[in-house]
Amino acid sequence: MLIELKDIRREYTVGGEVVRALDGVSIGIAKGEWVAIIGQSGSGKSTLMNVIGCLDTPTSGSYRLNGKDVARMDDDELAGIRNREIGFIFQNFQLLPRETSLANVELPLVYRGVSARERRARAIDALKKVRLENRMTHKPTELSGGQRQRVAIARALAGEPSLLLADEPTGNLDSATGEEIVRLFEELHQAGHTLVLVTHEPRLAARCPRAIRLSDGQVVGDGPGAEVAWQGVARP
Amino acid sequence: MSLRVDLVEGSRIALKSLASHRLRTALTTVGIGIGVATLLAILGITQGLDSSFEKQLAGLGSNSLYVQKDPWIVMGDWWRYRGRRNLTWAHYQAVRAQCVRCEAVSASISQRGDVDFLDRALSLVELQGVTPEELSVGAWTVTAGRFITDADDLNRTKVVVIGADVADALFPDGAQPLGASIRVAGRPFTVVGVLGRKGRLLDQSQDLTVLLPFHAMSALFPRRWSLAIGVQVKSSDEVAAAEDELVGLLRRVRQTPPGADDDFTINKPEMLSSTYQQLTGALYGVAVGIGFITLLVGGIGIMNIMLVSVRERTREIGIRRALGATKRTIITQFVLEATLVSAVGGAIGTLVGLGGARLVSLVTPLAATVRPGTVFFGIGFAALVGLVFGIWPAARAANLDPVEALRDE
Repeated sequence: MLIELKDIRREYTVGGEVVRALDGVSIGIAKGEWVAIIGQSGSGKSTLMNVIGCLDTPTSGSYRLNGKDVARMDDDELAGIRNREIGFIFQNFQLLPRETSLANVELPLVYRGVSARERRARAIDALKKVRLENRMTHKPTELSGGQRQRVAIARALAGEPSLLLADEPTGNLDSATGEEIVRLFEELHQAGHTLVLVTHEPRLAARCPRAIRLSDGQVVGDGPGAEVAWQGVARP
Repeated sequence: MSLRVDLVEGSRIALKSLASHRLRTALTTVGIGIGVATLLAILGITQGLDSSFEKQLAGLGSNSLYVQKDPWIVMGDWWRYRGRRNLTWAHYQAVRAQCVRCEAVSASISQRGDVDFLDRALSLVELQGVTPEELSVGAWTVTAGRFITDADDLNRTKVVVIGADVADALFPDGAQPLGASIRVAGRPFTVVGVLGRKGRLLDQSQDLTVLLPFHAMSALFPRRWSLAIGVQVKSSDEVAAAEDELVGLLRRVRQTPPGADDDFTINKPEMLSSTYQQLTGALYGVAVGIGFITLLVGGIGIMNIMLVSVRERTREIGIRRALGATKRTIITQFVLEATLVSAVGGAIGTLVGLGGARLVSLVTPLAATVRPGTVFFGIGFAALVGLVFGIWPAARAANLDPVEALRDE
């Protein structure tokens, strides 16, 4: 198993009241899988994404990523895990506005201490995979939304992480561009990448071979995407 | 990730960030620059004052001591010096005959008086009756003619050796002073020598002077003189020993009772410099304090701008953290940025400060000099200010929660 979550709980104290964002979540995801995590807003899917992405640590429970127990790691170790094991793809792209596409894609490699020459070669490779090799010197403001998200995907790929973690990757895109990005995910899946995609859109989750439905911080469904995606939701 | 990578990448980001906020960077730089410029100008003037004073002191003659009734500088209990017995010719002769560590021993007496030649008159000239040894004890040089000789003193010859200022005033336009008969306190004296220029000491000219044979002077102004016995010590490491020797010798000759305080003083050029340092030390303290306060204000400016910068770039910090930047990496990035702005400000301030010190030395009689080390001090100190005031904003940046930071609009 690439991801092993066991009885994960995450509690916040908001205004003196304890909020249980995750209430005993246990999930296993194998290498090469493409999994959607679907749920309404407030279902805990964003918290789950932050825990899986090592941006947040659970209050209790165990989390093994690629064989490493990450639930008890300190801040510096988590930064290292994020850098090597995870490629983030965010809804609003999260690119550095003043840097070129190439520099943005190189960033995870900078923090890994890769030499400038190798960094550049690998960033160019990654940009080729998303078919943006002719936009390398453009800054994010000079790119369309779809192109920006492809730069972000290239950045996630550049570090060759064991997991690609996408948070509403088509949320800020029109449907045609969104479709383009989903196709890209299909290609990446076929190439053997492990993909976890967090979304509230059944239509998107239905495209995934497997979907996990979250409600009130608990897993309420886990199965083929086409089935779980529409669980409890009226099909249009 | 290694510290080297942190530093290289941090500098690159810092430069980029500074370049993209030119006005802000420039204003922050000015703040620090003013601080450094103030500090450097003050240091320059201070160093200038010190070195000009050292030069003045050198004119007093190295290894020279002056035994006198009263100290040169009296601070506080002046009444302790009342009723002291005069130093007489006999005391001078005793020192001259017995002092083993003394290379040369002179006697001198002095008072202010008028000097005139033809229609030119000078008043308040320092008239000094001296023995021939005063040439080496007082570190005088003779540029024309000769100094006072033993024969002059023995015969009470009416001759004078004149200081450079007197020569300039009485014999302008290259007139020949040697052999001229000038009037000192209304009596005619023949000029036999001209002294080399010594310069000013504590804003008083040492060259507005006329030297007479000792006994000619005492005949001109008959009274109970107390002498200044000038001593040139054989070598500079024997000065303290010579002092002890002189005290013992004079107490014995003057039959000072055991247990009583010395009723004479041994004056040294160092006394002037220590008094000078006492007087000016407090002044410098205040001036340097002002410079530091200005730098402090500049530092607070840096801190303020860094806090704004951290606030503005919260999302960037979130992105960097998500992609694997450690807290140390973020701290390094922001501290470098603060240090860089300050160092640039320091460099500019150094130029302005040096210019200011130079300007002061051009328009005022103060000679402002800046030692080369001071320049590095200026830039280094500014960078240190940036480092210190940049740490807190940088730590705030590093301690942001990545999840919250990514959500920042």
